[in-house]
Amino acid sequence: MLDRELVEEVLAAALARGGDFSEVFVEERTSTSVRLDDGKIEELTSGMDRGAGVRVGRGTAYGYAFSNRLDREALLEAAAAAAASVREGEPGTVVDLRALEPSVVHRAKRPTSNVPAADKVAWVREVDDAARSLSPEVRQVVAVYGDSLQRVLIAASDGRWVEEERPRIRLVAQVVAARDDIIQTGFHGPAGLAGAEFLDAHRPRQIAEISANRAVTMLGSIPAPAGEMTVVLAPGMGGVLFHEACGHPLEADIVDKEASVYRGRFGEQVASPLVNGIDDATIPNAWGSFSFDDEGTPAERTELFRHGVLQGWMYDRLRATKDGAPSTGNGRRQSYQHPPIPRMTNSYILNGTSKAGEVVASTERGVYVKALGGGEVNPATGDFVFGISEGYLVEGGEITTPVRGANLIGRAIEVMQAVDAVADDFDTWEGVCGKEGQGVPVGSGSPTLRITRITVGGTGA
Amino acid sequence: MPDLLDLCGAAVGTAEGDEAVEAYAEESRRTVVKAHKGDVEGLTLAESRGVGVRLIVGGRVGFAYAADPSPDEVRTAVARARENAAVATEDGFNRLPEVAVAEPMPELFREEQAAMPADQKVSLALDLERVATTTDPRVTKVDEAQIGDAVSRTAVASTTGLIAEYGRTDCWAVAVTLAEQGEETQTGFSYRIGRELGELEWRDVAEEAVSRAVDMLGATKPPTAKVPVVLDPFAGSSFLGVLAGALSAEAVQKGRSLFAALVGEQVGSDVFNLIDDGRFLMGPAAAPFDDEGVPTIRTELFKDGVLQGFLHNTYTARRDGTATSTGNARRGGYTTVPGVGTTNFYVAPGEHSFEGLLAKAEGGVLVRDVSGVHSGANPISGQFSVGATGLRISGGTPGEPLREMTIASTVPEMLKAVEGVGNDLRFFTSVGVPSILIGEMTVAGV
Repeated sequence: MLDRELVEEVLAAALARGGDFSEVFVEERTSTSVRLDDGKIEELTSGMDRGAGVRVGRGTAYGYAFSNRLDREALLEAAAAAAASVREGEPGTVVDLRALEPSVVHRAKRPTSNVPAADKVAWVREVDDAARSLSPEVRQVVAVYGDSLQRVLIAASDGRWVEEERPRIRLVAQVVAARDDIIQTGFHGPAGLAGAEFLDAHRPRQIAEISANRAVTMLGSIPAPAGEMTVVLAPGMGGVLFHEACGHPLEADIVDKEASVYRGRFGEQVASPLVNGIDDATIPNAWGSFSFDDEGTPAERTELFRHGVLQGWMYDRLRATKDGAPSTGNGRRQSYQHPPIPRMTNSYILNGTSKAGEVVASTERGVYVKALGGGEVNPATGDFVFGISEGYLVEGGEITTPVRGANLIGRAIEVMQAVDAVADDFDTWEGVCGKEGQGVPVGSGSPTLRITRITVGGTGA
Repeated sequence: MPDLLDLCGAAVGTAEGDEAVEAYAEESRRTVVKAHKGDVEGLTLAESRGVGVRLIVGGRVGFAYAADPSPDEVRTAVARARENAAVATEDGFNRLPEVAVAEPMPELFREEQAAMPADQKVSLALDLERVATTTDPRVTKVDEAQIGDAVSRTAVASTTGLIAEYGRTDCWAVAVTLAEQGEETQTGFSYRIGRELGELEWRDVAEEAVSRAVDMLGATKPPTAKVPVVLDPFAGSSFLGVLAGALSAEAVQKGRSLFAALVGEQVGSDVFNLIDDGRFLMGPAAAPFDDEGVPTIRTELFKDGVLQGFLHNTYTARRDGTATSTGNARRGGYTTVPGVGTTNFYVAPGEHSFEGLLAKAEGGVLVRDVSGVHSGANPISGQFSVGATGLRISGGTPGEPLREMTIASTVPEMLKAVEGVGNDLRFFTSVGVPSILIGEMTVAGV
């Protein structure tokens, strides 16, 4: 994308006033999206983004500047602006740039750029048809198809030179169902770091049916009970909770600011011995995967909890250097417009040995959470909240009536210590995680798991 | 670098035959400074520009965008938009707006802010962090202390003859503090937004972030009960997003609004007044015209609790048949087509002081923060269940801190239960809200 001499010149210019390292991140991204709403193909959008960001790091501080332009003048201007944050120091040196080879490559077998627009239109139409034909109570369908190809070049003054292509694809079905005055919604949107072959395993019809079933089922729901109770989380959902409640406080910038509930707890039993948690960017073609992170560190699998004992943090370059630890390859950014920060990739709770059926059967009374609508955590206190988008009562060991209007609220450490069953039916859930105004694709995953006591917020008795 | 209107002109000049072509261009220069432990933690300088092209032919819409394009690349974007239009669904309501001239709003652009050197922003960020960490002995650290500004220009032109452009400056201060006592940590957030840093009360941001954290130390989980609730402006602002979604004509037309059939009905209590006003200068979202060039106006959405109507862009107004655009076409930047969104969307201030509202909520809860609204509230059905923190109201003042609560209700029930509105209107990004007294809500805890 840029020649090495120019990159070396920019890296050197960025270190003109000193600093521990300089880095250039160049990106070109082409994207397509198709949106169907109200039975109509409302929009097809083609996008072209490109730009470069220059960063100078000094301790855990940084200067960052970016430009949409990739010419020498613009890049040197950005380098000078980034360098301006460094107040003193001798000019730094740039080590000869050498290309790093990836140990894991996520290829698109059928690149979406070769797929005609008419096929993409047909996929969202299939979602619309399938959802509407599932039930006359389905009133509205939004289907959104999106793909992108992000090409990045990352080079830094320590000599790293990395090039990567990241193909992404997602198909989302949002369904609204109505019965009398009651309106309910369903959502399903699997995604991958892959090409069009992803939709062979995730058929548009199947995506539509999962979403539509969710909306229609919830029409028969009663208001959720409120208070502390036992909760069983369906496969994938424990991962969503793990991402928010545990993952964010394990990001090294939050730990470094002493704003993490896990600070100073390294090596301690902070979760049930049944909980084994990892963050893994090497999983082939998974939504949160890559070959290199956005600082040019190779993707890796990072252990977070082993039998409930805290194993470590998720590091970017700045925080790893400060702690004298290697980066775990968690330095990510939304685009060239953002400096990298520690982020999760695919964060999973691994399979246990229980059987899902037995976990439910041995639950006398509680709530079964089939789908969560997303959540938030305060990393400093560990307080989190999640909306339940599909939930049921558990009565006498059986999943019974659907419940609506509920959320889960708790504190990370207490809730993870209250896990008393982990099944062996692992599944994933894909989303876009927001932090400091940057959205990045993340995967989460888990088998069925049970929490003995957690607060359910609801309006019912 | 080509001028924004020249880029727009390049797109419009490429229209063929019956095509309607609209180009929306924006450029911005943003600076964000974060301070931590007496030093600059991060300094980001960002310059970006881009053009989005909407092409309509035979009722079909195609869209394409490009970052920092040359005039040739803009013409390529038009060609892409044309290809995309060819496979879209025909819909006769797709037309560009008629030309209307918007009254300029020169107050939105402040030369002082546009000319402020980065060094001054750096020292403000350092000051913000220093005040936040030296006001109370229990607060010695911040999670975040940020000063930022953006200087931007927006231009829209189309084959209908529209040519419009304006500039604006925006600035903000954000502080998140950490209060510690023994093993316990609580956080406090504050935020203000303005047109120029010289006018921004950044010191109040530091002090408020400190008191909001310190007040929460020793918080406990309350018993589940139905009690009166006062939402402070921070907490109230979280709910306005849910209302905004349901008041968009797009949501109504697509069967996704709980208010669809309720125009003219008494939906809220008679002290509830809700307004969208793109020309309200005090509001951060003020702009002379919307994102398709239609002049902004003041729209009353709820008057004395009665639903008056919905927010429209050009498409929804045409589809409605009797409505006109309320100047509420909004985009997420040059990369998206215009949908319907709010401008300055706010609850009109009432007659009560904050203290007066507390006096009416004895034994209830002052809710200061809610979380999970984006996941815990259903904008279509209006149900919500969200996490909350706050203080027990006792003897007319906020006292004992409470955490790990959830509050759950439905939007219509909450609007009906509004018993009093404060005179302390405050804006957060584009939504504004004073303190609000809700007669009774379920607060779930133990």
